[in-house]
Amino acid sequence: MVKTSQPGRTMPAALAFSTAALITLIPANMNPILIFSVAGNSQENLIITGVEALWNEGFEPLGALVFFSAIFAPFVYLLALTYVSASWNFRLHPPFLKAAFRFAESLEDWNLLPVFAIACVVSVVKLRTLGTVSWEPGSLWILAAAIFTMLAIQCFDKKCVEPHVEGAK
Amino acid sequence: MSNSLRHEISKALTAAAIVLYIPANFLPVMTITITGKVEPLTVMGGVMELYTTGLAPVAAVVFLASIVVPAVKLFSLSWMLSLHGSGVAQARRMKVHAFLLRIGTWAMIDIFLLSILAAVGQLGILASVQAENGALFFGSMIICTLYAADIYKPHMIWHSTSPQTT
Repeated sequence: MVKTSQPGRTMPAALAFSTAALITLIPANMNPILIFSVAGNSQENLIITGVEALWNEGFEPLGALVFFSAIFAPFVYLLALTYVSASWNFRLHPPFLKAAFRFAESLEDWNLLPVFAIACVVSVVKLRTLGTVSWEPGSLWILAAAIFTMLAIQCFDKKCVEPHVEGAK
Repeated sequence: MSNSLRHEISKALTAAAIVLYIPANFLPVMTITITGKVEPLTVMGGVMELYTTGLAPVAAVVFLASIVVPAVKLFSLSWMLSLHGSGVAQARRMKVHAFLLRIGTWAMIDIFLLSILAAVGQLGILASVQAENGALFFGSMIICTLYAADIYKPHMIWHSTSPQTT
């Protein structure tokens, strides 16, 4: 039986995309984004290197802001999204379901991976004039994680999950 | 939290963001040192440099995200908040609020750009990128506008503060 407007039909896809995004986040954070070299000296960078650099230069609030919005928030957001989608798909009511749903809702605006991906492109354009830049695999992983996250958000059917969450004890 | 308190906090955050917008745009956000040449850059300076040396589309993206978006946000926030409690243009204010939430975080592109440049700019005298105070103002300004839009809930557009005599 096929119903085109069956409620929650995109939820299996939401689970798949959020799991995929969660997995791709790991290599995205472990691989260098780009390598910049001037006169034989080179420096590679990860997302966390930028946090460290800002922190060490005495700009702790900026370092914390980058850490929160580019590393911490996307990770816990996807964790909560995967948890809620999985519980919906398997018709389970695990503990903290309601809390996870509210948490995901409040962090939705703080998912800044697509913005970070654009910032990577801009930084390469800028660095090209100063020295040699080469793309590294980390940038592709970030792009993949950003795309999977956007797809997961598109497929996550809030209206249909809410009664399921509210029904949980 | 009561609606009027939310409205007051939102107004305060918008006012703070308007004040912060000035140093955020006039103070340098970073200093780039390449082979001994020291160059302080403001947000607009960074855009101009991208335009002259790099690709115009990339410069346009940064210009939109870090200068136009915050300015548009501040204008529309002030407009929306000043009409709070009145019955004027309520449907339009709903659209503006949704739009504010959607474009909200794009100004973060400048902070991320700074973090990437600071990360690779650790080559001593050859190439170093140092964050400057303007970046702190810029970051605070973004956070103020984000929370100003977030704390003002769309349903409050339809509430009236003064009792209406109909």
